[in-house]
Amino acid sequence: MNGAARWAFDGLESGLARWASRQPRWALGGAALLGRTRNRLSRRWPSPDDVRALFPRLDPRAAARVAWSIGGLEARNRVLADCLRREGLDPLRPLVRGALPPLRPPLLLGTFHAGAVHALGPALERLTGPVLALRHGPLYTPRPPVEIVTTEGDDQRRAAVFQRALDHLRGGCFVVMALDVVPGAGLRVPCLGRTLELARGPFALARLTGAPIRPLVARWQGGGAEVEVGEPLAAGLQGEEIALATAAARWLEDYLRASPAETGLGLLRALLSEEVSPSR
Amino acid sequence: METPPVIEEAVLDLLRSRAPLARDRAELPDDLRLGSGGLGMDSIALVELLLDCEEQFGIPRPVELLEGEPLTVGRLVAHVRAAMAR
Repeated sequence: MNGAARWAFDGLESGLARWASRQPRWALGGAALLGRTRNRLSRRWPSPDDVRALFPRLDPRAAARVAWSIGGLEARNRVLADCLRREGLDPLRPLVRGALPPLRPPLLLGTFHAGAVHALGPALERLTGPVLALRHGPLYTPRPPVEIVTTEGDDQRRAAVFQRALDHLRGGCFVVMALDVVPGAGLRVPCLGRTLELARGPFALARLTGAPIRPLVARWQGGGAEVEVGEPLAAGLQGEEIALATAAARWLEDYLRASPAETGLGLLRALLSEEVSPSR
Repeated sequence: METPPVIEEAVLDLLRSRAPLARDRAELPDDLRLGSGGLGMDSIALVELLLDCEEQFGIPRPVELLEGEPLTVGRLVAHVRAAMAR
């Protein structure tokens, strides 16, 4: 794809991001179409070969369709993130359908950079209890009972946030944080025949507080987003961090094998950068 | 009640148990940082150290130590000593 085409796609995406505050359903749908088309024309990042490297059971045509879908997913997520920065959650709230299953705190909800990751906000507002969400960098200001704290900064700053999360769980509340973002030393676990580095923080929190971890993801469906909560991760007898992390990676692997088009680009990049390891 | 030097030694023992770099040093000066640029403790190790202090000395967890200035050996020891004197 030449520079002019890239410029045109970027311009169209910026236009959709501005339009998303008034017509979010149509703008986000348009972004998905634009992203699919862009990927289809460029056949790059992800390429069908990238997809097949991770999901070798897909035939070339299916891998190409997954690559287009990932292109669409990323474009939709970029437009949504831009809209959230400008307008907050208001345009998104009507698009997130359904209620979460009954969840009892203390509970740690672990997210992945898969699917409609930015669409989780409205679902968190429907939880029945205080929610502390940890995020790298601010994106929007949520309504109570949700509070977002940023994990940006040095180890001492992150320790202060970690301590807040610990107190929150000990106080019988919800904590939401990404499992697959690694600011410091991570836990390396098998996933999709590769090695995935997961953040140690959530698993350390679970060990220190005894709170269960349940995976939390969202996916674009039709004109809106649907949220899925996994069963509590099995901690093993000792509740070791590595056992929990392995269970989290296994859950993610099953989820992505069933829905490979939900693989976020960052996750794809992280997995592809690792050597192939024995698959389970 | 423990005397101040005993408290200081107990805090330093906790520090050595949590920070591998502290074990290799003969002395832990007051101005030595616990995090980056010093003992290199990560966020989880820092919180676990404060949990250790809470449990071992029966003091409220020194939450405020993580705010503001870099946490040093001297700040931690002084805080524990002051909390135990209250």
